[in-house]
Amino acid sequence: MKIAVCVKQVVSREWQLRVDESNTWIRDQDASYELNEPDAYALEEALRLKERHGGEVVVCSAGPARVSQVVREALARGADRALLVEDDRLVGADAFATASALAAALKDERCDLVLTGLQSDDSGFAQTGVVLAETLGLPHATIIMEVQVADGALRVKRELEGGWFQWIAMPMPAVLTIQSGINQLRYATLKGIMAAKKKDVKKVAAPDLAPQHEIVRLYFPEKAKATRLIDGAPADAAKELVRLLRDEARVIS
Amino acid sequence: MIETLIFWALCLGFAASFVVQVWRRLRLVARAPGRLGFDRPALRVRRFLRDVVFQSRTIAGRPLAGFAHALVFWGFVAFAGYSSTEFLYGLGLADLRRTPFFEAYAVALVPFATACLVGILYLLVRRVFARPAGLGDHVSMESVVIAIFIAALMITFLLRFGLADGSVAGRVNWWTHMLVILAFLALIPASKHLHLVLSPFTVLLKSPVLGTVPNLDFEKEEVGTETLKDLSRKQVLDAFTCVECGRCQDNCPAFGSGKVLNPKKLILDSQDALLEGALDRRVVEVYDEGVLWQCTTCGACESQCPVGIEHLPLIIGARRGLVSNGEAPDYLGNVYNQLERRGNIWGLTYEARQKFIESAGLEIFDAAKHEYLVWLGCAGAFEADFQKALRALFDILRACGVRFGVLARERCTGDVAKRSGNEYMFQELATQNIEDFRASGVTKILTSCPHCLKTIGDDYRRFGFDADVVHSSVLVAEITRGLEPNVATVEPVTFHDPCYLGRYAGHVDEPRELLERFGGSVREPDRTRTNPFCCGAGGGLLFEEKEEGTRISDVRFKQLQATGAGTVVTACPFCSIMLKGAQASAQADTEFVDLMAFVNGRLQKAADPSAGAPSASAGAAPPAAP
Repeated sequence: MKIAVCVKQVVSREWQLRVDESNTWIRDQDASYELNEPDAYALEEALRLKERHGGEVVVCSAGPARVSQVVREALARGADRALLVEDDRLVGADAFATASALAAALKDERCDLVLTGLQSDDSGFAQTGVVLAETLGLPHATIIMEVQVADGALRVKRELEGGWFQWIAMPMPAVLTIQSGINQLRYATLKGIMAAKKKDVKKVAAPDLAPQHEIVRLYFPEKAKATRLIDGAPADAAKELVRLLRDEARVIS
Repeated sequence: MIETLIFWALCLGFAASFVVQVWRRLRLVARAPGRLGFDRPALRVRRFLRDVVFQSRTIAGRPLAGFAHALVFWGFVAFAGYSSTEFLYGLGLADLRRTPFFEAYAVALVPFATACLVGILYLLVRRVFARPAGLGDHVSMESVVIAIFIAALMITFLLRFGLADGSVAGRVNWWTHMLVILAFLALIPASKHLHLVLSPFTVLLKSPVLGTVPNLDFEKEEVGTETLKDLSRKQVLDAFTCVECGRCQDNCPAFGSGKVLNPKKLILDSQDALLEGALDRRVVEVYDEGVLWQCTTCGACESQCPVGIEHLPLIIGARRGLVSNGEAPDYLGNVYNQLERRGNIWGLTYEARQKFIESAGLEIFDAAKHEYLVWLGCAGAFEADFQKALRALFDILRACGVRFGVLARERCTGDVAKRSGNEYMFQELATQNIEDFRASGVTKILTSCPHCLKTIGDDYRRFGFDADVVHSSVLVAEITRGLEPNVATVEPVTFHDPCYLGRYAGHVDEPRELLERFGGSVREPDRTRTNPFCCGAGGGLLFEEKEEGTRISDVRFKQLQATGAGTVVTACPFCSIMLKGAQASAQADTEFVDLMAFVNGRLQKAADPSAGAPSASAGAAPPAAP
């Protein structure tokens, strides 16, 4: 079974976020980066599926040159080889641009399964996997909690709202977006880190990137504090207060 | 003439047997990787004199048996010249026995022989009848035979004074004496008595610093001990030197709390497998399942061993081999990921540390302004209780006029990674921290965590980083030495020596000095000072939730409780976490307080007359910064 895992490099949580001068992106010159956490779970799931069913895990990423860091990390954890779409235009790219870059790398790979993290820790669109599936012409399922492979087909468990789950049977090949916490992550071993140095990283040219959206303004949540005085007779005011607490503030029901 | 020929034949036969058996073992030592260390020779020679010549480590934990052993040992040494002379005579090479010097020597040997005889008889009785647990479940027949041999040697020596040299009885006596020596020679190599030959070397070759585990060289693709053939030269030598006395076993907190790990068995398992020639056997097949993960790296085994065996490099080396192959227990895998992603053992983001720095009013270290860099450590950054202890330390430092700052950012020192066998993670963390230290221009580092003390103060030296690193108890003992706080009440307390402070760093007097100075009357628990009983947290076991047998922390807590002191003073964040856990499950009302909090509390009380205590005496004015 050939499994591709798409991973993204995001700024690390340790790094103090700052907005750049144009107020459309972060000032990322001195940022530290890490592997997007949901993608780490997708990678782990791919490695576990390979251990169970055999085959190959191909890690795939798209971004500027610094992205090779997370690709090496994935190789150290056990991915067999890597595909890297390296292009500076992918900095801050939207889900469409990223998905088309990933699709360009994956289209000739004929993978049985493509895994991505559910969403990224930075933009959080949860769209890249879905758009990638459409671009590759594959079926997809999102928010996956468990993956079973039998007789060339998939049974996957999706997380719904309110503590509900859903089992879906679907054909392969397919794209799945993996929920965080689905498995326990392995650590990078010394042997793995040594072996990663010898693994193949193939660079793929970026296709025409056509962003579908534009960030108009990026800003920190603005703290607002407002005091409202309710006029009227005490009994009416109390009634109004209860209504506001219930309907607007929603702190009582 | 015939006697001489027979003696020649016997000597050659027994000597050949000795050489063949020793050769078999030394070949295994010679083919093992790694170099034998001999750094700091003066220290090693001093230890040799203390532990070999004066037998201090043998005597320390077991005074009676140890002294009896010393008598036997000194007897053996005294007899070296005598036996050589007798052999020269027996082989017909030279007869020096008639010289007045030799006669005087023989007479001088009488007290040695008598002492040796008394010693060995005591040891024989102890082994056969008293049967201490450390010596194993059954009486070793081999040891009994050896003891009888030694007794026979001494008796035959003493008899020589009463028997005419040329008489039949005299000849029989002489032959008995010499045959016993020869038989002894043949028995030694395959038994624990090989320590007679090897232990002087292993004591000399033992690292001068407890728990020295050399860095792996990744350039040489070193990954740790995967199979037996990866054991280092010293580790193989250790395996053949073990005298099976069981001091390691008696002092091991894992063994003492009902776990499978027995440091003595670990060494003997290595020995057996090496002699079987199973060099390709994986470590998990050599040692009992799980034992490699039961060690807290408290260092009791290594520090108690009288023959210089180093258990920690063996255990950590084997852990490395497993960790390098992805075979660490799950709880450690989790810690490694947190260290990799967040740079600390709990996987928290550093906002919490930032908030602590702000609320405690700490300055970022500036070499031009500050004397000390206070290293907070993971616990200082995130653990509320330990932060209280650190606040107390800051108060004391400020009151005494010590100028200090902290780093804007810290990573874990790598203690857990190093001790649990993740050498790669350790080196990553260490090199990055050292880079930050160097950039800051720091020369003096102060920490309240004994694990950080060992890691920065010792392990980092192997990267060429040599700033002075001091534990808070030592510095505060020093800067408050001029103070005479008027302590109104004296409170009985007990002090739990952290392994990494008491046993590793040897700082046992400073904490007690502080306690006494500030109104604590110290009641010593069982297992104290340089041989404390571990809290159970070291070596990554802080994160192990399913502890086999009794919890180590429960055992220790009971020992502390038994002192009758209502207050336990700790000086390590991990000890504090473990022992408080044990206290909670015992539902005891014992109070825990960090040493710094204890000192600061008493300082505040002494300085504040309204608190009910008499005002501080004139001598209590803080001295100027050192």
